Amino acid sequence: MAFIIRRLEFFLITLWAALTINFFLPRLMPGNPAEAMISNFHGRLNPQALHALEVAFGVNNNENIFAQYGEYLRNIATGNLGNSLTFFPVPVMQVIGEALPWTLGLIGLTTVLSFILGTLIGMIAAWRRGGAADSVLPVVFIVTSAFPYFWIGIICIYVFSLQLGWLPGNLAYNVDGSIALSWDFLGQVLKHGILPAMTILVTSIGGWILTMRNTMITTLSEDYVRMAKAKGLGSLRVMVLYAGRNAILPNITGFAMSLGFVLSGALLTEIVFSYPGLGYILYQAVTNEDYPLMQAIFLIITVAVLCAVLLADVANALLDPRTRERS
Amino acid sequence: MSLHTRVRREAGKPFWVGMLTGACILALAGSVFGGAVPARASHSSAPTNVKMGGTLTIDNESGALWTGNYSPFNPAVNAESIGIVYEPLIYINVLLSKQTPMLATGYTWSNGNKTLTFTIRKGVKWTDGKSFTPADVAFTFNLVHKFPGLDINAVWTVLKSVKAQGNTVVFAFKQQAVPYFFFIANAIGIASQHIWSKVKNPVTYLDKQPVGTGPFTVSPSSSPQTITYLRNPHYWQKGKPYLSKVLYPAFTANPPANNFLEGGLADWGGQFIPNIKTAYINRDPTYNHYWFPPFGNVDIFINTTVKPLNNKYVRQALAYAVDRNRVSTIGEYGYEPPANQTDVVRPNFNSWYDASLANKYNYTFNPSKAKTLLKKGGVKGSLSLSVINIGGNTDWVSALGVVQADFAQIGVKLHIDNLSQTDFNNRLFNGHFQLGYNASNNSLATPSPYYDLRAVLFSGNSAPIGQAASSDFSRWRDSATDKLLNQFSATTSAATQHSIVNKLEGIMLEQVPVIPVTEEVSWYQYSTKKFAGWPTQQNPYVNPAPYAFPDWEILLSTVHLK
Repeated sequence: MAFIIRRLEFFLITLWAALTINFFLPRLMPGNPAEAMISNFHGRLNPQALHALEVAFGVNNNENIFAQYGEYLRNIATGNLGNSLTFFPVPVMQVIGEALPWTLGLIGLTTVLSFILGTLIGMIAAWRRGGAADSVLPVVFIVTSAFPYFWIGIICIYVFSLQLGWLPGNLAYNVDGSIALSWDFLGQVLKHGILPAMTILVTSIGGWILTMRNTMITTLSEDYVRMAKAKGLGSLRVMVLYAGRNAILPNITGFAMSLGFVLSGALLTEIVFSYPGLGYILYQAVTNEDYPLMQAIFLIITVAVLCAVLLADVANALLDPRTRERS
Repeated sequence: MSLHTRVRREAGKPFWVGMLTGACILALAGSVFGGAVPARASHSSAPTNVKMGGTLTIDNESGALWTGNYSPFNPAVNAESIGIVYEPLIYINVLLSKQTPMLATGYTWSNGNKTLTFTIRKGVKWTDGKSFTPADVAFTFNLVHKFPGLDINAVWTVLKSVKAQGNTVVFAFKQQAVPYFFFIANAIGIASQHIWSKVKNPVTYLDKQPVGTGPFTVSPSSSPQTITYLRNPHYWQKGKPYLSKVLYPAFTANPPANNFLEGGLADWGGQFIPNIKTAYINRDPTYNHYWFPPFGNVDIFINTTVKPLNNKYVRQALAYAVDRNRVSTIGEYGYEPPANQTDVVRPNFNSWYDASLANKYNYTFNPSKAKTLLKKGGVKGSLSLSVINIGGNTDWVSALGVVQADFAQIGVKLHIDNLSQTDFNNRLFNGHFQLGYNASNNSLATPSPYYDLRAVLFSGNSAPIGQAASSDFSRWRDSATDKLLNQFSATTSAATQHSIVNKLEGIMLEQVPVIPVTEEVSWYQYSTKKFAGWPTQQNPYVNPAPYAFPDWEILLSTVHLK
């Protein structure tokens, strides 16, 4: 109990520090959102619009920076995160709300899948060390992990989408499709998700395999594993319930961390595949000096990662009795 | 050569109304935009037995998903509604400086060019069935006055009042500002009084179901990924549009947008495609076409307050040291034609171009003349200069690479600073640069050389070093230049306008505050597989990019199934 309270205290202090940095950092950037919008809409916007935009966005109103900070903290507490400037005047929460499900869906599911598959492969590779699977799979996937993500993405689009025409290479659902609760829409989403998911899987699975395999190898030399084998328990049972269960602990922490990072959205994925998720929104917010949107997204990412760290600590405490005793 | 606008004869209108309107427009258009082809009346026969129906797909990288907001006052989204949903008073084709009456049937200048009166078209209905009246026009402009955050064309810096009077709307000006006609008549989409008067804060209002007078409506089934436009069966141009649906998918980056177009999934593109012949044309050579009409200039802005660039001979030397042809071929894939030192876009504004004056200076690539001029300007030995550029514009990066090699031939070492957009803006606007590479007038396409020249030369919009200028980044300050630009603002006489522009060209040629390098073009690809009636170089009836508004309204009302 005391353990959890201490972790919560730490969590709140880190959160406050993150919020403060979150406020000051974007404002260190030169220029203002109105100027950014004029440039980004070159050809569609009369340069004389600068004044009108500054009025509309409420920038350059010379308010004291600490007064603004106080207002910012108050707004966060009441949940009012303001209007986005890039997508003016759509409220920030609406912008995020529309993009979040796609990121959670694609990146979240792929991360989970990558973790499960990677751990399984690592476990099996370590169990049958030196065998056929062990010699091929980890090596292959570590090499693919080293490839630049966008390169694999573009190659996949070129091969599977443009040349072979098997799968669509962009967007989350068909161009003329609309969001509806129907099997057709679900089918579209799955079809459009296969290529991005595949590329994320291929580039991230190597890490899981390697860590799992290495911890597994250490675990396999433990006495209790030898005891279990000597007692005549089936090899599948020993591999999973005795060795695997203990070897997975470091990976669990890593997994919780990576879940926290899901929300920052695989930015490159979303650009290459034109996938309507949070990562691309963040990129646009930064390019357009969209303070409200940037702050909101950074806030979400920070909170997600902090929660993930908290979760990882709690999970470790629950799964590994040794950590509990020590504290 | 005469070009007739392809607008249908309105059923039921007496013939003489058309003739009178046509005569008025002919007389007025010729005087305001001198030298341009006069606009004919909006009554000429459309092709008979045109096939109705069809779904046209646009391919344009908008950079973000759609937010479901179609407010005509919001610059982030109004390119998706001005034109085909909210219409302007008069459409002005910047390629030909030609006018087509839309919600206004005609106009007159009076009172020493301080009063502008539009005659408003009768018989137009909003898509919710209510009648469109001059009160809607007056309301739209007064709304923009009431909420300064909406005045994105800054029209109220020159307007005094806007009132509806009978079937006309009268615009009274604070001072003469004839060139603002382009923004007032062509760039502003007219919104309805009965809907917008009920909106509490139009600046933050999300216009989700826009009610306009235009040829298309926004379908409620539109998603963040694709906007679906449906044909408006009660459009005031009877029989038009011919298309029944237009799809506008959102692309967040160029490569997916290019893949979409190259894969034959779209009919009309507005993309920058490297190697367009192999990537796009060869995929379907019978049907795939492209055309990139020029409309503006990309310039090297010279900071005239910095030594030795404050000396005009040094600036002239640099103008003789740019091989514009090579920049165009190597840096811009040959898509953007070389510009000329007068900053007058050719061939659009050939009638404005002072050929004899330009030939006297003859600004072609001439390294020996450049070296002589450098010495005359007091430069001893080699010179080191830096140029700031937006690193994200890869074609501009290549263009400057060519310029760097050219400058090396006259002993000038050019250092290229490829910056992020925000960094670049900050330095350009505040004057912290020696040379800067940017479009003349923020890439705005306009119907005469005046707008670019004003953006580059008018000191009123400039600012001292350290303060943000909205244009004239070179900090060119000359009362004679300002006087000429103000004289142009005050007149509708074509002869006066031309003589003023000639003098301004003289300033560009002698003083060289900026060096126009290439001409910016509109990106335009189209497939004739399903649809016909596209604008071409031979028939440039609109500025053909999908992102050009209100031009896209005219194009989408004209193309039809084959």
